[in-house]
Amino acid sequence: MPNSVVLLNVHANRIDAELQIPLVELQSAWGHAVNDSSAGLVERLGPQLRAYLKTHIRPQSPDGQFWTVAVGALTTHESQNPIQGVYRELTAQVQMIPPAGNDVRRFMFHYDVVLHQVMTHKILVSVRQDWERGQLAESEPVQVGEISLDIVNNRILPLPINRASGSAWTGFMAMTQLGMQHIAEGTDHLLFLLVLLLPAPLLTTGQRWGRFGGVRYSLKRLLLIVTAFTLGHSITLLLGSIGWVRLPSQPVEILIAVSILASALHAMRPIFPGRETWVAAGFGLVHGLAFAGTLATLQLDAGPMALSILGFNLGIELMQLAVIVAVIPWLMLLSRTPAYTRVRLLGACLAGLAAFAWIAERVYGQSNSLTYCIEVVANYAPYGLLVLALLSVYLTWRAKPLPLA
Amino acid sequence: MKRKNISILLLFLLGFSNFFEGCKSSDVDATSSTSTSTGTSTGTTTGSTTSNSSSITTALSATATTTTCNSTGVAQIVCLAEAFKATLSSTQLAATQLTYSKTNAQKWSNLPAGMSARIGINLGSLSDTQLAAFRNLMVAVLALGTTDEGYDEMIGNLVADDYLNSIGGGSTYGAGNYYISFLGTPSTSSLWAILFTGHHYTQPITFNAGAVTGLTPAFRGTEPQAAVTAASRTYQAFEQERVAFAAMLTGLSTTEQTTAKLSGSYNDLVLGPGQDGKFPATKSGLQVGTLSSDKQALVLKAIKLYVNDLDATTSAAVLTKYTSELANTYISYSGTTAMSSQGDYVRIDGPSVWIEFSYQGGVIIKNTPHSHSVWRDHSGDYGGN
Repeated sequence: MPNSVVLLNVHANRIDAELQIPLVELQSAWGHAVNDSSAGLVERLGPQLRAYLKTHIRPQSPDGQFWTVAVGALTTHESQNPIQGVYRELTAQVQMIPPAGNDVRRFMFHYDVVLHQVMTHKILVSVRQDWERGQLAESEPVQVGEISLDIVNNRILPLPINRASGSAWTGFMAMTQLGMQHIAEGTDHLLFLLVLLLPAPLLTTGQRWGRFGGVRYSLKRLLLIVTAFTLGHSITLLLGSIGWVRLPSQPVEILIAVSILASALHAMRPIFPGRETWVAAGFGLVHGLAFAGTLATLQLDAGPMALSILGFNLGIELMQLAVIVAVIPWLMLLSRTPAYTRVRLLGACLAGLAAFAWIAERVYGQSNSLTYCIEVVANYAPYGLLVLALLSVYLTWRAKPLPLA
Repeated sequence: MKRKNISILLLFLLGFSNFFEGCKSSDVDATSSTSTSTGTSTGTTTGSTTSNSSSITTALSATATTTTCNSTGVAQIVCLAEAFKATLSSTQLAATQLTYSKTNAQKWSNLPAGMSARIGINLGSLSDTQLAAFRNLMVAVLALGTTDEGYDEMIGNLVADDYLNSIGGGSTYGAGNYYISFLGTPSTSSLWAILFTGHHYTQPITFNAGAVTGLTPAFRGTEPQAAVTAASRTYQAFEQERVAFAAMLTGLSTTEQTTAKLSGSYNDLVLGPGQDGKFPATKSGLQVGTLSSDKQALVLKAIKLYVNDLDATTSAAVLTKYTSELANTYISYSGTTAMSSQGDYVRIDGPSVWIEFSYQGGVIIKNTPHSHSVWRDHSGDYGGN
């Protein structure tokens, strides 16, 4: 029989818990034909269900005081595991608040929903998020125990919860790491920026890209583009994280893919010469919305959220900077050789191809063979960098390079 | 004009994505069956289900020959075990002949082997000669000649799992996924065990110093609970047990039923796999010693359907013990006394014997209950090791 799952999200002074209760087991314990007729269950029995859950969820502080428990949103849906196949379950959002002055991290978890009646039921308790300990909902929940019948003594014991205390610093560092990881794994964000930088060292002559514009010229344009992109995504990351701007993720993801296509076209032929800064800022706004989605799912309180936005953005910038510092010198070396035209066109074509693949994937909500290839190829990015470095050194040595200034 | 060319180039490149087929994640066909079950299930109108037998159950149904081992008792079992081992290749033997350890002995489950890995060698990888040698061994340790009991119950269990394979359960199910192993080298002097385990059937037999020292924990169950036909035989491997429990409970007076009824609900076994040695400190329910002799006989009849699955010599000793302890044995149940609805549960808990039967929701055949059951011994599980 399927078991229950309790997922804890540990905040500074409360715990948000998500309960997942198989309806077949709930019916054995509570009746009301909750499994036999699960359609409209919440509308039909919402208040009674909340009252039932409240009676059987009783966290208790070491001094004996019980916590305040409030049962929020209830939903029913289908779930699946390899052993039981498909089954229906109830998901309940529960808020648990310790009495004033009591530690949220230490309590006896008296929980016997279903188990008070169904002796063979099992409840797996896990911590899904503990920001102060640097554990984020992004990773797998950490199981802290199982509540089940003590068969020998025929009793149900509460589960002692004793979480080591954390700090705002640990939470901040975890967010910085998450930001770095987000960019390191976010092939689309990096590709947009790199392709935008591809023609940055070049001058424009009429409708075409011209020759290398000099180190000063290149660095100035690089700095402007990167700063504009950073400003753009920082603004929407902030606005999105505090909930002022919320866009559904699908159109945002499609726009990100479109932004890569635009910068790829621009790398072939200057379509917005001199306005790269504005384009970078504009598309930065779009990319920031995607970053904000990650933060919004963490459902943090104001203080930790502010630190998280800061830490997450810092992580993004650090990783972005590292990639730029690693790639740009070679691009600038290459851009002084005649072969750069071919390198630039090849890069732009591949990026354009990837953009098309991503657009298709995000419009139809289904990955295709090309996006799968991109994932595989992206793993070899460090070797790509090595090849780029060797190639640029070799071509510089072979060709009579143009003067640096 | 030039800009248009670029768009065309990109579209052209996109077309090339078809050449990236090699990069496609290859979906492994999880449903491809390696079992030989032909599974031409025919719909039924009588409530019984039908399936063709696999080559495994056909091979195991043939008459056994034990003429090569003329000895009796444990000596004969050792001889037949060695004869089976002699048919195996060296790799097969390495998988089958393991060392005796509690950890190895505890590798059983009520799940198919694909979901809870077993040790030993699976029947699906044995040739007909090897299957015949395996059959000769099992026939010597299990009871012969009673329909749906003993060796026949084991075959019926495999037939039912073949049926699950054929109706959509897939290759995880079926007789080919049942495993046989020897824990410790078969001998008439030392500690060793036969462990035969698969989805709804686990039977360990522990030996020490030339004697049988343990027959438990033994798991029994079946899905479907209804009859399954194979090779012109109809099996209903675990129906007699269910009927015996119903007779035992419905035979009680209303007052006795009230005493026997547990307050909790039970949707599965309490002491299933992984719950070794956790016998409740206090027995629940109705003491058998307070019952009339005909009602006590119904309790004993249910117990016999487990113990008598083993060969007569072995089971006689165990049955004598359980009979002598019958007065201090307790019976309890939950759900209905008819043992016919999902959630019906019954338990026999004696000084030594422990039997649980749970009629629970179907997995492959939804909305139709099926049985899980375990026979344990308070001191004799794993031969007391």
